[in-house]
Amino acid sequence: MIKIIDLEKRYRDGPPHALKGINLELEDGVTSIIGRNGAGKTTLIRILSTQLEPTSGTALINGLDILKDTQEVRRNVVSIPQESGPIGILTPVELVKLFLVGRGGMSFHDAHVLALKTLDQLGGLREFRNAPSDTLSGGMKRKIFVAMALAANVDTVFLDEPTTGLDPPLSRIEVWSAVRELDGNVILTTHYMEEAQELSRKVVLIDNGTVLEKGTVQDLLSKFRGGKIRVECSFDPGGPLNEDRKHVHRVRPPRSEAESYIDRGCTVKAITLDDLFLAHGVLVEP
Amino acid sequence: MTSSSLTVFSLNLKFSFLLAWYYGFRTVTRGPSYVVASLSSPLTLLFLVFVISRGRLLPFAIAGGFITLVASVALSSAGDAAFLRLQLRIQDLFVASSVSPVDYMLGLTLSYLVFSLPGMALYVALGGLAFHIFTPPLGSAGLFGVLVLLVVATSAIAFIIAESIKHVRNVWGIAGILSVVMTVLPPTFYPYTYIPKYALWALSISPATPAAVLTQGFFGLARPLPYMAYVLVAETLVYFLAARYLTRWREK
Repeated sequence: MIKIIDLEKRYRDGPPHALKGINLELEDGVTSIIGRNGAGKTTLIRILSTQLEPTSGTALINGLDILKDTQEVRRNVVSIPQESGPIGILTPVELVKLFLVGRGGMSFHDAHVLALKTLDQLGGLREFRNAPSDTLSGGMKRKIFVAMALAANVDTVFLDEPTTGLDPPLSRIEVWSAVRELDGNVILTTHYMEEAQELSRKVVLIDNGTVLEKGTVQDLLSKFRGGKIRVECSFDPGGPLNEDRKHVHRVRPPRSEAESYIDRGCTVKAITLDDLFLAHGVLVEP
Repeated sequence: MTSSSLTVFSLNLKFSFLLAWYYGFRTVTRGPSYVVASLSSPLTLLFLVFVISRGRLLPFAIAGGFITLVASVALSSAGDAAFLRLQLRIQDLFVASSVSPVDYMLGLTLSYLVFSLPGMALYVALGGLAFHIFTPPLGSAGLFGVLVLLVVATSAIAFIIAESIKHVRNVWGIAGILSVVMTVLPPTFYPYTYIPKYALWALSISPATPAAVLTQGFFGLARPLPYMAYVLVAETLVYFLAARYLTRWREK
């Protein structure tokens, strides 16, 4: 369980007010922190994983204060930074082994055995485990980091945008399958709604350093759906016929009106987290 | 850095040695161009000194080449440390774990020592076997001690640079300038007696200066200045502690 108390971050040379006094409780399980670029996701993750000092406030991770019990927190978390890359000349086995030895309390031999076992556990990495990591695909490189988190067997894992920069869909699916192997508390940031829905039961929507929404994916969707549907038309359904057919127009009418929109040639879809974002103005309609 | 991270000072030597082995030895075996690159400057200067002095200053250049090799490899490591921090974000991975900044610094320092080993072997061959400069055994032991202190001091300077810069491209220029100022200007390739005392003191801001003066004394190339040992030890301590406590392992 993570309890965030009045967490505030001001940068001297960056976004002036990256986090504006966040209060939040994250229960165990997988939670996605979603928001657009610059929303404050990475700042939040970096503070929680003890890489960055907050300006004020603090957080408790399983009762341990990130400021007062820093060393103890570090022994119980793994944080995979955004767009991190492996040292190219080292193999996946060497990288995982180095990470395990760095965390302490493990002999070279035990770390080697555990690294092999963990890499075998993650599909696709087994055959490349002794290849220099700069020869691997983007998805495989990200999986090495997930393997580190998996092998460390800690209470809490932070993943900062684990699939950003990967070619969809295969590489992302590879990483998702690896993330599903993680136990305990997993906090991941993403700006892909699909990823949040795929991997987590709970989501926190943040923008401009504040929390806009939080809850389970299902709760947020049912609250937002409220018996509505998503309709996409190639014309403005509220305007005169034949007007502006160059753009896709999106509306959220009641479910009972679905048929009339289908008859007019519009596409009817279920409401997703994307619509929640659009409603908050966090995403711009294409 | 928080008070808790300041008070915990336990070393994880296993991590440091493994990092040194992987980052040093693996780099040398899988990318030998590093070795050639680290040797190119000292060997070029050695050749120039030989030609210009008609061989007279060759012993100085061989002894000084040793110093230049170690110091320049350690200083240019700022680029690697910045790359690991800013580009690969490997340092962040270790910050949010039990790895301490001293473990990490020591691992990188040792890995640069591994980079230097082939070059050092070449200089041992030149100085010991070809030109018989490194003859007194006590001098050779002294040189070893000087090189250990030098690699710690210059790696600490490199770490301070790597932690201070915000864009990885800037570090190549800074490290290049520092490498020249701190390893070629000091009396590494010429007798320290050629420059006035005030210049010697000014150049002592570089640990390569006391290291070179001591080395020239060890092998009878110039009059020994034993107090330079204190200067080198003090500088090593100051640079190491600055790297440990002035750089921020946990960013602010």
